Amino acid sequence: MTLRTNGDSPLLTRADNEPIARLTSALNGLPIEGQYRNISQAQFVNHVVQLADALPEHQHAINLCDNRYLFLVSLCAVTVRERTNLLPPNKNPSTQAALSQRYDECVVLHDNATQLSAELNAFDVSALEWSLNDTPATLPSIAAEHLAVISFTSGSTGESKPNLKYWRTLLESSAINARYMLVDAQQNHNHVATVPGQHMWGFETSVLLALFANVTLVDARPFFPTDIIDLINRLPTPTTLISAPLHLKTLSSYLDSQDHSKRPKPLTLASMLCATAPLDPALAHKLETQFQCQLKEVYGCSEVGSMAVRNTAQQTLWQPFQGLQFERKAQTAAVSAPHLPEVIELEDQLNFTQDGLFELAGRATDLIKIAGKRGSLNEVNKVLNRFDGLIDGVVIFPPQRRNVPRLVALVILKEGVSRTSLRDFMTQHLDSAFVPRPILQVEQLPREENGKLSKKKVLDLYQRLVSA
Amino acid sequence: MSVQTPAEAALAELLVEVLNLEDIEATDIEPEAPLFGDGLGLDSIDALEIALAIAQEHGVEIKAEDEGTKEAFSSLRTLNAFVENNK
Repeated sequence: MTLRTNGDSPLLTRADNEPIARLTSALNGLPIEGQYRNISQAQFVNHVVQLADALPEHQHAINLCDNRYLFLVSLCAVTVRERTNLLPPNKNPSTQAALSQRYDECVVLHDNATQLSAELNAFDVSALEWSLNDTPATLPSIAAEHLAVISFTSGSTGESKPNLKYWRTLLESSAINARYMLVDAQQNHNHVATVPGQHMWGFETSVLLALFANVTLVDARPFFPTDIIDLINRLPTPTTLISAPLHLKTLSSYLDSQDHSKRPKPLTLASMLCATAPLDPALAHKLETQFQCQLKEVYGCSEVGSMAVRNTAQQTLWQPFQGLQFERKAQTAAVSAPHLPEVIELEDQLNFTQDGLFELAGRATDLIKIAGKRGSLNEVNKVLNRFDGLIDGVVIFPPQRRNVPRLVALVILKEGVSRTSLRDFMTQHLDSAFVPRPILQVEQLPREENGKLSKKKVLDLYQRLVSA
Repeated sequence: MSVQTPAEAALAELLVEVLNLEDIEATDIEPEAPLFGDGLGLDSIDALEIALAIAQEHGVEIKAEDEGTKEAFSSLRTLNAFVENNK
């Protein structure tokens, strides 16, 4: 299906009075002075043009850049060259190789990555000597129907579903996101994200909004709680923190564990945005108290992007974004919009109220979500069953009282085959979040006469094993 | 296999408990074997949980940008040394 075209639009539409980005680590030609370096809009456009000229010939660019600024410059340079960015679901060399099988003339754009597929052309964006030239260049314009990005649903296996993002899709979804996510559309905020730019949530909030709203991108991806705190304290206010439940829970627990005298200076946040997995309302409330700011939880999926918002500390119901049409179905809803290439059937159950708000009521049973990554239990089981050393086995997702629940495998292995070799096999074929842990060896599985496994009996067996 | 020191044994217990490694005995963790990738097969989610557990248990902070962090996470022995040196 093709999109209606609206002609060309400029590469960016943000106001030009604040920096488009702040660097906290130096790049070639762009040293840090003091705590960070501001990048003006004119410098950014010059960097895009500089990289667009330097890129090797390609049709598709697998954008692996960790540095969020280099990720943005690469994204735009590829788009200006009228080529397409591929945002891989993970950084595994096998994923890079699989993408290059599916898409013609791939080049890998990276910033000094170590894990590269040997078969592919790679271009180290971080090796460029960046110009400090602050003279405004002509703003490139992009055709609305240009296929700028293909993102991939974070699947449990390498065969993930492509989602087509035309330039128009990015532009119009960003306008909607800005309306619902920004505390004050007039005031410029740093957007610090603990999630990668390649993932749809990080892409929309910490990368795209810098092009289309009053948002300053921050190059780093802080990981541990102390990294988040240090980074935010380095930046001028105001800052919005974009994160996921696991990262926020760790940050909150860390702050709890510190005695007040040892804590550095109080962390000042203007707002928090959270998505990728359901956020516990008690945690949301606690975070709002710890940081004295509002936390908005966003509901979305890779196919559509962000779709609804709530203030989790106070609200259970979600407010759907205007600009997206939710067609209510018996179990779920289908979402469409002029800027989306197709109608998307959601995988969650949505119960709408009379006011047009909705409640999220669970997922189809095969779908699992671990640390924000979406996968299929069925696919993980298929991988298990491809293992040569397996006699019988099953992977389950039992309820667990942990920060990050994991899959569990119950297996009977051939003689002389170790659990380590099974784990290594699964690590090669699955995203690490979906590699079962623990792998428990059993005498036999509680199969029915017809060979089927009863979910309840398997869970009972697991409970007996772990409580033993 | 080299032998776990008492401090390493205690840290190994903590890892097994925090990371749901019910299929591994704490005493079986080889002090010098890699924790991530091919060794214990840990990933970045685990790194976050380990860092939090160590901050809570020992008051030692782990930062991704510190020179020593990558080295610290390479094995049980290096992780234990990192904790001891930063207490």
